[in-house]
Amino acid sequence: MRPDPVPLSRAQRLALTAASFLLLATAAMALGPLIAGSGWWWLCAFIAGGVLFSGAGLRALRAPASLVPVLELVVLLLLLTLVFGGASSIALIVPTPETFDTFGGLMSGAQRTIEQQSVPAIAVPPLLFALALGIGLLAVVADILVQTLRMPALAAAPALVPILVPGFIIEAGAELPALVLTAAAYLLLLRVDVRVRRRARLLAGDEGEDAAVIVPPKRVPIVSTLGASLGLAAVGLLTASVLAASTPSVSTSLLLGSPSQGTLFARGVSPFIDLGRDLRRPEARPAFHYFARDADRPYFTLLTLDRFEGEVWGVTDTAVDGDNTVDAMPLPDGLSEEVETSEHPIEVVVDEVRTTWLPVPYPASRIEGLSGSWFWDPGSLAVRSVDTNTGGQRYRVTRLEVTPTVAQLRDASTEVPAELEANLELPEEMPPIIADTAVVVTAGTTSKYDAAVAIQSFLRSSQFDYDTEAPVAEGYDGGGFDVIAQFLETKSGYCVHFASTMAVLARELGIPSRISLGYTQGSPTQERVDGVQRVEVDSHDLHSWPELYFEGVGWVPFEPTPGRGSVPDYSRPGAGDGTGAAAPSTAPITPGASGRPDLDPDRGLAGQGGGGATADSWWQRGLSVVLVAVLVLLLPAMLRLGQRWTRRRRIAKGERPADAAWDEVIATARDLGAGGDDVETARAFAATAAEREAFGEAAALAALTALRDAVERERYGPETGSPPEASELQEQLDRVRAALLADAALSARAHAVFAPRSLFDAARRAFGERPSVDA
Amino acid sequence: MTETTAVAAKMGIDEVGARAATIVQNVEAVIAGKREAVTSALTVLLAEGHLLIEDVPGVGKTMLAKTLARSVDATVSRIQFTPDLLPSDVTGVSVFDQSTRRFEFKHGPVFANIVIGDEINRASPKTQSALLECMEERQVTADGTTYRLEPPFTVIATQNPVEMEGTYPLPEAQRDRFMARISMGYPSSADELAMLSTRETSSPLDALEPVVSLAELRGMIEAVQHVFTSQPVKEYAVDLARATREDRQLRLGASPRATLQLIRAAKAHAAMHGRDFVLPDDVDALAVPVLAHRLVPTSRAVGAHDRDSGPLIDAIVRRIVGETPVPVGSARRN
Repeated sequence: MRPDPVPLSRAQRLALTAASFLLLATAAMALGPLIAGSGWWWLCAFIAGGVLFSGAGLRALRAPASLVPVLELVVLLLLLTLVFGGASSIALIVPTPETFDTFGGLMSGAQRTIEQQSVPAIAVPPLLFALALGIGLLAVVADILVQTLRMPALAAAPALVPILVPGFIIEAGAELPALVLTAAAYLLLLRVDVRVRRRARLLAGDEGEDAAVIVPPKRVPIVSTLGASLGLAAVGLLTASVLAASTPSVSTSLLLGSPSQGTLFARGVSPFIDLGRDLRRPEARPAFHYFARDADRPYFTLLTLDRFEGEVWGVTDTAVDGDNTVDAMPLPDGLSEEVETSEHPIEVVVDEVRTTWLPVPYPASRIEGLSGSWFWDPGSLAVRSVDTNTGGQRYRVTRLEVTPTVAQLRDASTEVPAELEANLELPEEMPPIIADTAVVVTAGTTSKYDAAVAIQSFLRSSQFDYDTEAPVAEGYDGGGFDVIAQFLETKSGYCVHFASTMAVLARELGIPSRISLGYTQGSPTQERVDGVQRVEVDSHDLHSWPELYFEGVGWVPFEPTPGRGSVPDYSRPGAGDGTGAAAPSTAPITPGASGRPDLDPDRGLAGQGGGGATADSWWQRGLSVVLVAVLVLLLPAMLRLGQRWTRRRRIAKGERPADAAWDEVIATARDLGAGGDDVETARAFAATAAEREAFGEAAALAALTALRDAVERERYGPETGSPPEASELQEQLDRVRAALLADAALSARAHAVFAPRSLFDAARRAFGERPSVDA
Repeated sequence: MTETTAVAAKMGIDEVGARAATIVQNVEAVIAGKREAVTSALTVLLAEGHLLIEDVPGVGKTMLAKTLARSVDATVSRIQFTPDLLPSDVTGVSVFDQSTRRFEFKHGPVFANIVIGDEINRASPKTQSALLECMEERQVTADGTTYRLEPPFTVIATQNPVEMEGTYPLPEAQRDRFMARISMGYPSSADELAMLSTRETSSPLDALEPVVSLAELRGMIEAVQHVFTSQPVKEYAVDLARATREDRQLRLGASPRATLQLIRAAKAHAAMHGRDFVLPDDVDALAVPVLAHRLVPTSRAVGAHDRDSGPLIDAIVRRIVGETPVPVGSARRN
């Protein structure tokens, strides 16, 4: 390929720019499943369009070709300043040092929000900034490929970036319509390029007798370009699918940055494992403290696990709804007016806990004083942030205390609302011991409430030991079926095991259940003003507990873990046998079951283990990084293989076969560093090559000469006679390649495979070329 | 002309190659070790161009011209240019015939198939112009009558670049009329030694017999005209010409006539090698002889080369050829 001597006109360059823009804009659509709303896409289109069309404008003004990408970067900076610079900029677009500080803040904010948001993410400003910056840089790359290097086929590379990202993050990857549209836009770009070139050649070429010779387009280049681009797309899709397949349980954090130290459940990869590790931490770290009236000692929920898959408990992945602001939270699900409720304000000050989930009592009616954007999840009313975390927060939460009577619970309808069917789901392959236990424990109970109380009593009985070490030591940490089965055998574990066992047993009995993760009520301090006491909560107060659903009351917490937390009144055996009105649900009743911190048997429990699970994810993370690296390193080799394959197909199909064969010979020689310059004629190359030792063999030399004659006739000869036999050409090509390879050192051959020079030639030539002047 | 067409139709490209080889061999019997010069000269003959041989005295310029002329069974004339040579001494003159009482045109030496113009730069510009006009138009006009020069018509002119006293160097415009310029160069010691023994008693030229008849020569020329030139090769020639026009070291680049003659010469070169189509290699091989004498270097580029800028221009042309990418076919334009 020699550099096209025909400079393109402004209109032609503009057509190419428009096609590049279309490609990037459609490729950006692939990010759709990751980000909520559509405003972000318009921003991406604005930035990409601004960069690409300013590049076209600069070229129209005859800016030096090598300078255009640099100027495009400047344009990108100006656009970013316009959109994100705010008051810090001069004349809206000129950045100041302050603007760069703002950008720095946005970048770190973006990193945080990527770590913390689940998909689809809310398009908060830091995320938008990262998107705009990314798409802007891709636009510059695409422009270099399409306009400077004149290799539009390679524009697939920047377009693949937004397409591949969803593959890393969600299992489904990018949506099919976006893929199809992007592929169409890509083909359009190639088509525009082919047309533009042909027209440019015709305009620049002689209008004389030979004009007619040029007009009939030969189909070969289009076919081979198409082949190359399809190959490229195939490689991209393969990469995406391999990554998606190899990292099924890998969450976003794995590829887009890990949660920083001390961030709890940032991505919810395995909250149970994190919880166990925190409980075993030798020294408790202060999590937060709160100020509340004496009787007000609620549990603080961080998040609620409602999905059980046999192996793990997880959070149903729901999109954050931007309307669910925390200043007005809804009434909890299933709560009827008959149940008595009361509101209690609690002032919470966060100490060291860093998580995107806000510790709030369930249910809460509103939260005030938070910084950042916080939203509640429907159902669980768990509160999470999309752009910040709990660090340094001080907020006032109004807790809605629900005090059901035992009668209300016992009389609750056995009907399960359709939307809670999921909370009854149990995977098929349940170990028999679970069903057996459920039957034995609840024998003789008449209502679901009684059954729940029976399960709680069973788990709190002296048969079970609280132990944070045993499950880790014996390898059944977690909340899956196998773990529960072993826990029921061993009868030793900690809150995770008690909570998940009770939740599963409840589901087995037809009671919708879920598991809340959070903190117990904590330890009161001596600090007290006007009846409001300061209560400290630390990492050893981390806890999980089951919540069961009773129609008319809603989600009701239970406490099956012996020695931890406090048992709600309504769940104490025989609680409803008296009058009916229950005492405040979380008030500590008996010292033995109160879980008062000073009596808590968990205190001081410490261990060194617990790193196994994270090591596992680190291993996976390392593996995927290595995999990506290997794929990237192998890309040139794969592209070269694809090129060779395309040429062999051309030979087989008789599309300028000798040309294809000779191109392959030259490319092989280039790869091996054995000549093959573009200012060298076929004859000159053959003459130089013939002096090599490997061509001392008559057959190899004959093949080389035959191939040379064939390509000369095909390229420069009159179009008469039959084309050479494909099989013969193929054989000659193989012979010549073998001779060239045999002549090369091992290192040269390795270089040829992994870093084929011939692939980079086009780029090299394009850079060495004098900037073409527009017509 | 029907006769020559018939010969041409019969003459295949292989035959052209074979005959050309015979001529070269024949010439080399006299001019040893000058394959390149001999080939270039024959190329020009087959391409119906004119050849300028430029070199110091005594290296065989005239001998080459004569040998080539003798190898072909064509009419040959020789003009020794001197300062007092008149245009009519070249073209011919009208004389009054007493018997018929009419002016009759006496054909000058230019009426031959091969005209050897020795030391062309010694003649006055007026006389030079007369010859050059014949070369371009292939006809002579005297007293209102036009006389056609029979094809093939080739002028092989020699000039001595060193001896400048009393000469009229050809202006650029007139040098452009020559298809190619070659220089002989000194023979190697061995060749010079061999020459001493062969020419001790007689000139080998005397023993030389024509190996190609005039009809055959016309057939060869006809065949050359039918050599195929593909679009990429034409573009390549144009690229080269354009490169000489844009080159920093050159004040005057190649003219469109140069491009045309480069392609014509390349066709002859291809035919001589038994090929019915032109390769970029043919163009490469002829770039220096065809282009170099038309180019004028900038004074800065000349620098130390001072008067004799020939080697410098040759080097510039070779550099341009080395830098211009070779076309790979019309379907590969991207």
